[in-house]
Amino acid sequence: MKLSEDVSGPTVALKERAVLLFREHLGAVRRRTDRLFAGLMLAQWAFGILVALFVAPYGWGGKDGAPHAHVYAALFLGAALTVFPIALARWRPGDAATRHGVALAQMLWSSLLIHLTGGRVETHFHVFVSLAFLALYRDPWVLLSATCATIADHIIRGFLWPESVYGVVDPEWWRFLEHGFWVGILDMVLLHAGRGMRREMREVAVRRAELELAREREEEKSAALDRALRELSGFQEHLIRVEKLAAVGQLAASVGHELRNPLAAVRNAHAYLSRRLSRDVIGAADDPRVPQFLGVMERELGACAKIISDLLDFARERPPALQPCPLRPLVDEAIGVVPPRDGVRIINEVPESLPVPSLDKEQFRQVLVNLVQNAVEAMPTGRTGQVSVLAEGQDAGPWAIRVIDDGAGIPPDVLPKIFEPLFTTKTRGTGLGLAIVANMVQRHGGTISVRSEAGRGSEFHIHLPATAAAQAA
Amino acid sequence: MKRPAFARGMWVALGVLWLAAMGVGFSLLTRHSLTPGDRQEAPSRWPEEARPPRVEGRPTLVMLAHPRCPCTRASLGELAVVMEHARGRLDARVLFLRPEGTTGDWTQGALWRAAAGIPGVRVLADEGGTQARLFGAVTSGHSLLYDAEGRLRFSGGLTAARGHRGDNPGRDAVEALLRDSGGSGGTSEHGVYGCALEEPPGVRATNTP
Repeated sequence: MKLSEDVSGPTVALKERAVLLFREHLGAVRRRTDRLFAGLMLAQWAFGILVALFVAPYGWGGKDGAPHAHVYAALFLGAALTVFPIALARWRPGDAATRHGVALAQMLWSSLLIHLTGGRVETHFHVFVSLAFLALYRDPWVLLSATCATIADHIIRGFLWPESVYGVVDPEWWRFLEHGFWVGILDMVLLHAGRGMRREMREVAVRRAELELAREREEEKSAALDRALRELSGFQEHLIRVEKLAAVGQLAASVGHELRNPLAAVRNAHAYLSRRLSRDVIGAADDPRVPQFLGVMERELGACAKIISDLLDFARERPPALQPCPLRPLVDEAIGVVPPRDGVRIINEVPESLPVPSLDKEQFRQVLVNLVQNAVEAMPTGRTGQVSVLAEGQDAGPWAIRVIDDGAGIPPDVLPKIFEPLFTTKTRGTGLGLAIVANMVQRHGGTISVRSEAGRGSEFHIHLPATAAAQAA
Repeated sequence: MKRPAFARGMWVALGVLWLAAMGVGFSLLTRHSLTPGDRQEAPSRWPEEARPPRVEGRPTLVMLAHPRCPCTRASLGELAVVMEHARGRLDARVLFLRPEGTTGDWTQGALWRAAAGIPGVRVLADEGGTQARLFGAVTSGHSLLYDAEGRLRFSGGLTAARGHRGDNPGRDAVEALLRDSGGSGGTSEHGVYGCALEEPPGVRATNTP
């Protein structure tokens, strides 16, 4: 039962919509035909007046002429025949009464024109032309009205004045049937054509209804999809919040863990110094362990400061402040910051003639420092090595900056994770260095990739879009 | 809810009034077409004063016509049919009114040319309407048929309505008389449908539109 309702529901809606569309279309056609007839009535009126003026302009009495009765008939009777259907078309467009009123007026126009032309047989064709025009209404009852009016006119005039309609003085009583027969034949043809037109209109209405229904369904699907996307987006935002919270938790744990060791060392050093100073302040100056513990405190507090600085760099969402920034001096600056290591040589291979790109100097120095320091630290202990910084680019082209080392390389299982925050393989490190690098490169609209081979070293490749160079130029 | 019902009623009333007006209008038009013009007594024998004189021994048809009357075109059309059917057995003349103070162009217009184009018809101007008065014709298209002995056999119009051509009793009567040219029956009369040849007040009131 449910299934049948589901199946019949759209079908019923489709049929109802098709019927509505068909009626709307038919109504529009009939209103348009009303307007057509309003114009036609005016044209017939003008034509009737012209016919009267041409055929019988004056009636005469001796040498004095006065407008002929036909002129008055064309003017006033024609006006009455014209104004009423025009009023109907103007104020009641599309009404059945309007169509029938127009049909009646049109057939009476045939009578008037026949009269004005002195009963010319040729003017009788106006009847047939009028029926053809009336068929535009696509209403068989209108043709019936017009046909009845014509036959009634033939019967009445055939009785009162047969010559005016049949051309003979004493016609047979059934002569109206002969005329009516030919009108009926035309009616049959017009009805057949009208039925065909209505059938086509119905088919068009069904197709339009199907199209509308399909469009409605598509819109419903689209709306459902939009809703699903909004829900998905909500879930995604929720997930991001959860992930952020988890990351914050993980970060807090990591930071806490990283800070605990240096702070413990600081506390131990501080405890020793406190005890030593409380026991003998003057003698403490000669105690060799006092400067040693002070050094420990300074180093560990520096480590704490580094962790917090990295954390801030990672968390801060400051957009890059781009400015022309020569690369070679920037690389020199970064190399100067990185603590030197025995046996490891750092080479600045950035050409001096390189055009000046547009970069955030502070952020990009941090990027270079992190990459160079990472490369230096990747060198196995006791082994010599080399870290090279290269760059290439043009005024209107993309830029590439590469940091290459010949160290131990990055294991394949580690490689996909190195840009993730808090991921580290070092015994001392926050796991934020490369995450900060990736973050800052992204803010510059660039990308960073790495290629590494175990035992042969790694190459970090920063790719900056052409806009950077263009802005600088 | 009342307003549409009122509007509908108003339109129905307007429709009824309109139909009534149409009925009256067409009735008036029909009455005008079927109302014959004025007539006067025609001389029962060919008047000696008539010019030109008739040909002795042959029937003669005289049509008194107004040169500008639109209805007379139909009368001339019927005369053409009569002449065709008569096959030379009839002398016919059309006398077109030429009122005083008018020029020849006023008279010799399209109707003159149409009448002149009918075989066997002689077209003449009726100066000042003297011939019309002689024959007692006051309405354009008035035709008189005199037999071979000069006796009046038909007086009236050759159409059954104003400006309408087609079969009609007047033409039928003339043709019947021609077929029976030797007979000596009475005079056939028929209504005349056309404009007034002159303008006496009474005539104008009935003959002109």
